[in-house]
Amino acid sequence: MKSKNMINVCCLFFLAIFGFIAFFPIYMAVLNSFKTQGEMFTSVLALPNEWTLQNYVDTIQRMDIFRNIWNTVIVTLVGQTGIVICASLAGWRLSRTSGKLSSFIFILFLSSMLIPFNAIMVTLAQVASTLNLADSLIGLGLIYTGLGTSMALFLYHGFVKTVPRELEESARIDGCGEFQIFFKIVFPLLKPITATILILNSLWIWNDFLLPMIMLSNVNNQTLILAINRFFGEFTTDWPRVLSGLIMTSIPVVIFYVLFQKNIVAGIAEGAIK
Amino acid sequence: MSYSEKKRSLKNLKYLLLFTFPALAFYFVFLFIPITSAIYYSFTDWSPVRPDYSFVGLNNYIEIFTRDRHFTNALRLTMRFTIFIFVLQNIIALGLALLVETRTKSKSFFRTIFFLPNMFSLIISSLMFRFIYTRVFVEVSELPFLGFFDQSWLGDPQVAFWSILIVSLWNGAGYMMIIYMAALQSVPASITEAAKIDGANGFRRLTKITLPMIMHAITICSFLTLIRGFQIFDVVFRLTGGGPGRATQVVALNIFEEAFQQPLRYGYANAKAMIFFAVILLITLIQTGVMKKMEIES
Repeated sequence: MKSKNMINVCCLFFLAIFGFIAFFPIYMAVLNSFKTQGEMFTSVLALPNEWTLQNYVDTIQRMDIFRNIWNTVIVTLVGQTGIVICASLAGWRLSRTSGKLSSFIFILFLSSMLIPFNAIMVTLAQVASTLNLADSLIGLGLIYTGLGTSMALFLYHGFVKTVPRELEESARIDGCGEFQIFFKIVFPLLKPITATILILNSLWIWNDFLLPMIMLSNVNNQTLILAINRFFGEFTTDWPRVLSGLIMTSIPVVIFYVLFQKNIVAGIAEGAIK
Repeated sequence: MSYSEKKRSLKNLKYLLLFTFPALAFYFVFLFIPITSAIYYSFTDWSPVRPDYSFVGLNNYIEIFTRDRHFTNALRLTMRFTIFIFVLQNIIALGLALLVETRTKSKSFFRTIFFLPNMFSLIISSLMFRFIYTRVFVEVSELPFLGFFDQSWLGDPQVAFWSILIVSLWNGAGYMMIIYMAALQSVPASITEAAKIDGANGFRRLTKITLPMIMHAITICSFLTLIRGFQIFDVVFRLTGGGPGRATQVVALNIFEEAFQQPLRYGYANAKAMIFFAVILLITLIQTGVMKKMEIES
């Protein structure tokens, strides 16, 4: 019994250490974002004598943060809508159709998941500017559709196998058209996997950096991550102000995390095992 | 085939093409064209500053491997980083998952804490750590017994490698932990209980029962850490910018600079991109081959 207690204490000890490491940078960022620059120079670790909101006020004025949030929302919405429509339509039909052509198309999508973004970024930028999609939020959303569809299609394809065919068959006998069957009957049944796809893609698109950096050059079009990157460039050493920017930029995702933690965790496990 | 059967299969074909059309169209424009034209241009001296380009055969590739020390250094550094992140990320994530799974009431609390860093984008994580490395650690090193925190975290090439690694681990370990936790929960408790009664100690239970039973999760996490490790960009870009000098320049950053900085040698940058692609493919093939074999054996 004694050794069991020892093990338990050891476990708790390591959990506490790792918990500290995970939390410490966030704590430091929050703490120092409420200090004046002078106070931060006196001590980084200590609690501020006087909590100030001035950094946040300045940052909101300088960064146009609400516009950046709005931009990011547009990109995410366009990308998500495109991904869900393309991937669910194709994933369902491919899963329900046997034959060489069907499996060929499926393998085509599957193999594209091996293409790393860095390998196509140069030519993708070229394609985007040829199609007049560069420096456009809608255009960026469409590119996310192109890059994200394969993975979502793969998840839909697997999920459809667990959905019984009978409903579709009987609707077909009742004389429903194929598109009607899809939108009225199939798509509602795909809701769980659609939710998983939406949550995973939101995090991806919201936090992505390299693609928006290549595509968007107009300051008015900046996404949140681009804006904070630029903000850091302007105020490099004014840490309290930079930190307040970091915190504000992270708030939407942290709220998202609090609301959907269960789904995010389930989604990652699900997405990985398939 | 009867007439009606023929008609039906034709109808099926029609709907297959109709339903896959949107996905295929996006695929064609944003994946097929970029990758095929990247292969094509990698054999040319294409540059947007000149109206024409010509074929140069394998010259780009030859130049990369014979004269471009920056690229070969970046390749070596990225491989080293990939190996480190692959080993450390998996050990830490699996360790965390095992630790968290020993808890009953506080399980979800610790899971929340360990996964939280993954919610912060890599750019934000890197900026937070820039603050930690340049300001906080200076003060920490003045505390008793903590003098070793006094390092040039971003300025010394050897240390900067570890600084980048730490940020990547901090951000990514929670994600892998989630996958490992899901796998651990699917190991039936009755088996480990039985082994316990048979007198197997904790370490033996781990290596003989638990690990073989979560082999599929190990495969997936290995794949993810290798692929993501090799593609590292954001952390280096924002933490060290590839510096000091080019000491921490990774392959993705090298390609990025080649492509979007003067003299804009697109053809040459594409050749680099194709080498990058080839390495990723190679890692994937070897990794899945080895792991599949291990999964069958266990």
